[in-house]
Amino acid sequence: MKIVVCVKQVPGTADVAIDPETKRLKREGVEAIMNPFDAYAVEQGCLLKERFGGEVVVVSMGPPQAAATVREALSCGADRGVLLSDRAFAGSDTWATSYALSCAIRSIGGVDLVFCGKQAIDGDTAQVGPGIAAHLGWPQVTCVSRMTDVQPDAVTVHRMNEDGYDIVRVLLPAVITVVKDLNTPRVPTLRSRLASRKATLPVWTAATVAADPAALGLEGSPTRVVKINPPPARNKTTVQIRGTADECAARLVHELRLKSLL
Amino acid sequence: MQQHIDRKVYHIEILTPKQNSEKLEEDLQTFEQKFRRVMDEGHMACITDNPMGMLSFQGTEMIQELGLPVLPEQLMIHLNTFHTKADLDGILATAKQLGIAYFLIVSGDGSERLPRLKGSDVGYEVESVTSVELLKYIRREYPGAFHLGVAFNPYEPAEHEVEKLRRKVDAGAEFVITQPIIEKHDGLGALVPFGLPVVIECWMSKKLSLLSECVGYEIPEGTPYDPPGNLRILIANYPRYGFYLSILGFKTQLPLIRDLWK
Repeated sequence: MKIVVCVKQVPGTADVAIDPETKRLKREGVEAIMNPFDAYAVEQGCLLKERFGGEVVVVSMGPPQAAATVREALSCGADRGVLLSDRAFAGSDTWATSYALSCAIRSIGGVDLVFCGKQAIDGDTAQVGPGIAAHLGWPQVTCVSRMTDVQPDAVTVHRMNEDGYDIVRVLLPAVITVVKDLNTPRVPTLRSRLASRKATLPVWTAATVAADPAALGLEGSPTRVVKINPPPARNKTTVQIRGTADECAARLVHELRLKSLL
Repeated sequence: MQQHIDRKVYHIEILTPKQNSEKLEEDLQTFEQKFRRVMDEGHMACITDNPMGMLSFQGTEMIQELGLPVLPEQLMIHLNTFHTKADLDGILATAKQLGIAYFLIVSGDGSERLPRLKGSDVGYEVESVTSVELLKYIRREYPGAFHLGVAFNPYEPAEHEVEKLRRKVDAGAEFVITQPIIEKHDGLGALVPFGLPVVIECWMSKKLSLLSECVGYEIPEGTPYDPPGNLRILIANYPRYGFYLSILGFKTQLPLIRDLWK
């Protein structure tokens, strides 16, 4: 089974400024991490590979520093990685990004399954996974919380929804986006981390993946961000409850009920 | 442990490199230098386990990968409950194989990226695994293989903390390491009836304010603090106890403390 996992480098903090001109996040000088949902996608790819054999290829689109995120995925068990990095990709919205990623997946060739995190924690759009499926013309299942059956030509999964889950059987090749209930991502070992730092990491451009330049970057992005604002800061307050243990417990329950938390 | 105290052997904390270190090779070298220096000087190296929930490398893998010597009476590994069952078993099996004899068992600090042991992992019907269940598990699976110590926090309500310690001792704890103490703390009197060897943590950073969370009240930034001076007072106040030095400055402080405890 050949599995591609798409990963994204995102800011490791919610305290990120927005560029008023470009309406984009200012990423310079901010600690970068692998999008947390993507760690579950990497783990699922590795679990399937360990069980059924095959290969896990990690793909990320971003600036050169996004290589660190691909290497992190390698240290978690992926076999090889590719960084899509080219000025032509700059300014891509989710549609153009998913187009570029779909071109990379076609270039890899022979792919059975594509895993993505359900969404990235910076943009929160949840559009790239479905966008990849649309560009490839493959079926997709989003918000997968469990894989119950894996066959060479189809997989059966639980798709989370607000009321519970749907059981979905999907033919391969397919795109699956995952939620955190799916597995427990492994923590890289020192040995795997060191190996990942030495791994060869090819950088693919738009030309490498035979992408249409008109479908990339700002030109290829139908989305126009008119205005963007950070959410209002949450007010943190600390309330100290004093009294005997029973009094404190009763007061705590009362306070939580007032806030509809119980 | 009592023999370390009788021989006036310091416990010196060494932090392992963080998983996301951008200068990993340099950090590994620093760790190795500190480790070897502690060994050479006859102290006990105490290697942390994801302190403050920060994803870091494990002590056992550091020793294996760097080919460091294991002198059983000079090495203690911290072990907390934030591991998968497979990782926990791997750490314990490796420790036994390497001849590591001492563990400090703590509940630990979690983070989103750190998995926590489940009750079913260690064979106990509990909602969350604490140091008590971890102690019992190690005693059950590795009878007689390790000397196990636990933490004691005199800043917690005394009745609660003493009861917790009683459960830890019943589960197999053989020695106690306290939270950082500044000069003296009446709460340590509660340890006397247990009759266990006690090692007092001495905070060796000048930034006393970093202890605010630990002690439960705000210590203003810039509060004057003389770490070697505090160690000197602790040695005078607690002649029967050992000393655990955290955040020790290897260049400046290690030469200073050699002659303090005689």
